[in-house]
Amino acid sequence: MPLDHRRLRGPEESQPPALWAGTAAEDEEDEEGAGAVPRDPCALRPLFARAGLLSQAQGSAYVELGSGTKVLCAAWGPREAAEPGPGRLLCEFRRAPFAGRGARGRPGAAAEREAEREAAAALREALEPAVRLGRYPRARLAVSALLLQDGGSALAAAVSAAALALADAGVEMYDLAVGCALCRPPAPAASWMLQPAEPEERRAAARLTLALLPALNQVSAVLGGGRGGPPEDWAQALRLGLDGCHRQYPVLRQSLLRAAQRRDAAAAAGAAAAAATSA
Amino acid sequence: MASVVLSEAEKLYIVHGVQEDLRVDGRGCEDYRCAEVETDVVSNTSGSARVKLGETDILVGIKAEMGTPKLEKPDEGYLEFFVDCSSNSPELEGRGGEELGTDIANTLYRVFSCENTVDLKSLCINPKEHCWVLYVDVLLLECGGNIFDAISIAVKAALFNTRIPKVRVLEDEEGTKEIELSDDPYDCIRLNVDEVPCIVTLSKIGYRHVVDATLQEEACSLASLLISVTSKGAITSLKKVGKGSLDPESIFEMMETGQRVGKSLHTALQKILDEEESLGTSRPKVGFLG
Repeated sequence: MPLDHRRLRGPEESQPPALWAGTAAEDEEDEEGAGAVPRDPCALRPLFARAGLLSQAQGSAYVELGSGTKVLCAAWGPREAAEPGPGRLLCEFRRAPFAGRGARGRPGAAAEREAEREAAAALREALEPAVRLGRYPRARLAVSALLLQDGGSALAAAVSAAALALADAGVEMYDLAVGCALCRPPAPAASWMLQPAEPEERRAAARLTLALLPALNQVSAVLGGGRGGPPEDWAQALRLGLDGCHRQYPVLRQSLLRAAQRRDAAAAAGAAAAAATSA
Repeated sequence: MASVVLSEAEKLYIVHGVQEDLRVDGRGCEDYRCAEVETDVVSNTSGSARVKLGETDILVGIKAEMGTPKLEKPDEGYLEFFVDCSSNSPELEGRGGEELGTDIANTLYRVFSCENTVDLKSLCINPKEHCWVLYVDVLLLECGGNIFDAISIAVKAALFNTRIPKVRVLEDEEGTKEIELSDDPYDCIRLNVDEVPCIVTLSKIGYRHVVDATLQEEACSLASLLISVTSKGAITSLKKVGKGSLDPESIFEMMETGQRVGKSLHTALQKILDEEESLGTSRPKVGFLG
């Protein structure tokens, strides 16, 4: 983008004032957290999903989670690629500059791009088992996810949105990939929580994101880290996450069906109008 | 990853063998290849290690430099990882090697992101002003399958070998800072590597999973699970790699196997490192020509 000389730009490196605010701000937050009703760890936040909203892309989807995470995803069907071999899935994950709760990071910053590339690789890991790439030799399928607001569980929402967008674009898939995130607070014997909000995720001692193909009951991605403990704890977290994915699946299917019905209705109306004008 | 071309018959041979717990080189499903670990191979670094796991050859060098602590953690030092794969094979030169390198570096960041892996507070010199930054540089000399495991073993050995000089930063009345190094060259900080995890890669081949897959076995496996295990058996990170999907039951089994194998790997590694340490200056250096 060309430099805008009329606008006053701040210093190259800016730091959020909250860092220097001292302990007063932290105490307030702790009180809020302790005073709030402890939420049920197995409760799923409300999920809103809609497919087929962008007219320019072949397939698109918008997923919004109750905690405030908003992801918009667009997918393009097979385009010819120069290199021979089976089809390839190219994923891109971008965060809007205003997506995070903290200071606005400069959009071109290296750290941002690293994080985006990592998230894009994770997205590709999650989607590849679901797409029938063997049916598209010498072709490239592109998926681009844009995170509009980060309210926690961003990667999980992006996986669901990307799978919906690919399905909406008409790409042959084995199943929809449903993403779910969990986290475990730092308290010693705390239990895992489904779909953490952004402050919970920031304070968490361990995080886990997984993607599941529910109809086949196959896990397509697992990404977790932190002080989780023995394998039994991680196994329990996995089971909770898989259950969460199964519960979200009907909502995503419904949104696909509705998008298909809307498309049919629009096509029928268009055909009727064309017939009326020509007649 | 460097790829190897296998015919269908060879793949079938490997898959059928693994179902019977027999791998091509005679190992069982949970056996590692013969590994050689040597520390202090590069003299210009604060700590270094070389690991040869079968055909895979990894060299890790750690340089400790003074820097400013991060804003969110003013009383801790930190680690920076950089992985270089370009010397490996023609297809890994340029972009391909860079992608693999960043992938491995991100995995290492995630494995070490758990708070108590390395005692970062001991790396602090003056809070908010000076701290030690450990630059961990990993060189992939040869890729023979299972690079994550070898890299994590090499990083642990190099961290064990790291010697950081004891430094005090004194401030004069005018505000000029002076760095004071102790006179004794052997007076240094050593890191406690008891909590440093090791990565165990479990590759799913057919219905069973194998530890320490060779390049040929990796070509037959559609999905692998990377688990990082500490010496006490706690799992600190999980990642699935590969184009295929995994059954939830297999993931549970793989985690159990990973914990078991990881614990025995840690005991063996610690024994070797302690032995090497106890030999002191009299140990024979093998280096690169042995």
